Amino acid sequence: MIWLTWRQFRVQAWVAAAFALAIAAALAVTGPHLFDLYQSSGLADCTTDCADLAENFSVQAGTTLNATLYAVGTGALLLMPALVGVFWGAPLVARELETGTHRLVWNQTVSRRRWILTKLIGIGGAAAVTAAVISAVVTWWTAPLDDANVGPLGQELFSARGVVPVGYATLGFMAGVLIGMLLRRSVAAMAVTLLAIVLVQVAVPYFVREHLTTPVTSSTAFDPAKIESLGIGSDNTIKVKMALPVEEAWELSNVTAGPDGEEYTGPVDPAKCGRDAGGPRACERYLGTLNLTQKASYIPVDRFWLLQWRELGLLLAVSALLAATAIWWINRKVA
Amino acid sequence: MTSAVTTTGLTKRYGRRAALSDCTLEIPAGHVVGLVGPNGAGKSTLLQLACGLLTPTEGRIEVLGRPPHTGSGRLGFVAQDTPVYAHLSVADHLRFGAHLNPGWDAALAQGRVTELGLDPSQRAGKLSGGQRAQLALTLAIAKRPELLLLDEPVAALDPLARREFLQGLMSYAAENGTTVVMSSHVVADLERVCDYLIVLVASRVRVHGDVDELLGTHHRLTGPRRDPGTLGPGRDVVLASHTDVQSTLVVRSTAPVDDPSWASDRLDLEDIVLAYMSQAGADGRDRVLEKR
Repeated sequence: MIWLTWRQFRVQAWVAAAFALAIAAALAVTGPHLFDLYQSSGLADCTTDCADLAENFSVQAGTTLNATLYAVGTGALLLMPALVGVFWGAPLVARELETGTHRLVWNQTVSRRRWILTKLIGIGGAAAVTAAVISAVVTWWTAPLDDANVGPLGQELFSARGVVPVGYATLGFMAGVLIGMLLRRSVAAMAVTLLAIVLVQVAVPYFVREHLTTPVTSSTAFDPAKIESLGIGSDNTIKVKMALPVEEAWELSNVTAGPDGEEYTGPVDPAKCGRDAGGPRACERYLGTLNLTQKASYIPVDRFWLLQWRELGLLLAVSALLAATAIWWINRKVA
Repeated sequence: MTSAVTTTGLTKRYGRRAALSDCTLEIPAGHVVGLVGPNGAGKSTLLQLACGLLTPTEGRIEVLGRPPHTGSGRLGFVAQDTPVYAHLSVADHLRFGAHLNPGWDAALAQGRVTELGLDPSQRAGKLSGGQRAQLALTLAIAKRPELLLLDEPVAALDPLARREFLQGLMSYAAENGTTVVMSSHVVADLERVCDYLIVLVASRVRVHGDVDELLGTHHRLTGPRRDPGTLGPGRDVVLASHTDVQSTLVVRSTAPVDDPSWASDRLDLEDIVLAYMSQAGADGRDRVLEKR
C-alpha cells in the first residue's frame, strides 16, 4: 500500500518538496543580512520606546527583494491549506470513484480501511511536513520585520507563523478527502473544498482564536499621559482611547468609561475641550477631573506560543475527526 | 455440489429504486458460469454484492461460505469497463498487483503480458480496449483467486478482441479449475466459454443448469394449433405462440417428443435464453415480445 501511495503521489510530492526547498533556500540566503541589519539598527536589543528604531529598520530592510520574499513566504503559508485541500485532498478518493479504479484497487488483497488509512497518513503527513518546513524558515526569517511592524499577534500573520500552519494544512487535506468522498466528483469537490477552507481561515482568526485563552481584563484610572487618541464631535461628544497597560498585546476591547461604568462619550464643557478651548492640555486636565476609567480586555504577546499550540491542537483534533469520518464512510457508504 | 455464491432474498435499493430485489440463487463451484439477462436485470449489482463492493439492503449473500468483503485474496473481480490506472504503465500495474496481493503469481502475470505482446513501459491509458481488458484480467487472475467474477468484461470489445479475451479466460479456467462467474447480455459470448448458465430477468432466476443439459432438453415444437396444456407430464412449456392454424412451442422436456403431429427442432443456447426472457416479458410489463 505504501508503494501504491508513493507511486500515485510522487509527482505532487516532488513538486511540494521543490517548492519548499526553493522558499527555504531563498530565505536562508537573504536571512543573515536581514539579521545583521536588525542588530546594527539597535532594534534587536530595544525593550521600550522602540518606535523610531523600528521605523528606521523598516526603511533600511524594506528592499523590493525583502518585500517580495516576505509576501511570498507569508502568502505560501496562507495559501497552502487551500492548495493541499484542493489538489491533494479533494481528488484523492473522488478521482478513483470517477474513473472506476476504486473497483480495481479495492479488489486487491487490501482492506479499504488500510487503503484509506495509508493514504491519509502518508499524504496528510507530507502536507504537515511541508507546512512545518516552510513555516519554520518563514517564522525565523520574518521575525525582525514582524517585530518592527505589527507584532506576531496580528490576526492574519498568526496563521502564517509558528506551528499553526501544520494544523491548517492537515485540516485542509482531510477536509478535501472527505468532501471528495461525499461528492464523488473531483471538480465539484475542489470548488467546495476551496470554499470550506477559506471559511475556516476567516472564521478561526476572527471568531475562535480569542476564546482559546482567557483574556486579561484591566481597569485602570484615567491617565492623560496615556491617551492614544482623542476625538471631539461638533455636538461636544467625545471619544477617548487610552493605550493598553502593556506595550504589545492583541486588543479585544478598550473603552474609556465614566463613573457610571458606561462608555464615556461626553458631552464635554466646550470651554475646556473643543475648538475654542485652550488646547489639548486644558482638555486633558479637564478629563482628569471626571473620574474616568479605562476598561480593557486583551491577550498579551507573551501568550503567543500558548495560543499557537492550542490552535494547533484544535485544528488537529478537527482533522482527526474528519479522518475518522472518512474511514467510517468509506467502509459503509461508498461503493 | 458446493456453492460458490448463495443468495437468499437478496435486495439492493438506491433510495426508492431497486437494482436487485428478492433474488435467491445458487451458483455452483467448479464451473465457468454464465450470468445472462437483459440490461437492468441486476447482473452488475449482483456481482458487486458478491465481491463486497456493495452491501445488501436486505437478504443474505454468502461467497465461498462467508459474507463477502472487499480486500479478500480468495476473490478476483474484473469490473465493468475494466478500469485500470490510466497514468500507470503496464509494468507498474504488475508491481501494483505484487505489492497489494500476498498470493501474487509474478510468473503468471509476466507470462501473460509477454504472451499478449503488451509493452511493459506503455501507459495503461494508451492501451486499446482489448488490451486494457486483458490487463485487468491479468491482475485479477495473478492474485490466484478461488473465484473469479467478471462483470461484462467483453461488452466494449470488438469481435476479435472478444475472442482473444474469452480464449485466454477459458484456457486459464481449464488449467486451474477456478470457478468463474461472468455476466453478459450477449449469449454468443457466453456460449463459447461457459458450461453452466443462469438466466436472470428482473432479479429472478428464470432457468439455470449445465449448458449441455439445457441444449439437450429444450425443443421447439411446431404443429397444428392446440392447447399447450395437453402436452402431457414432464414437459414444461417455456413459450407458446399461436397463429390461426399453427402453434409454436418452446418446451423443456426430459423425455423425447415423439408425437408425429409435431415437428421438433433443436434450439441453440441463444434461442433458449431468448425464450426465457420473452416468457418473463409475458408475465409482466413487456407483452410485445410474446407476439413476435
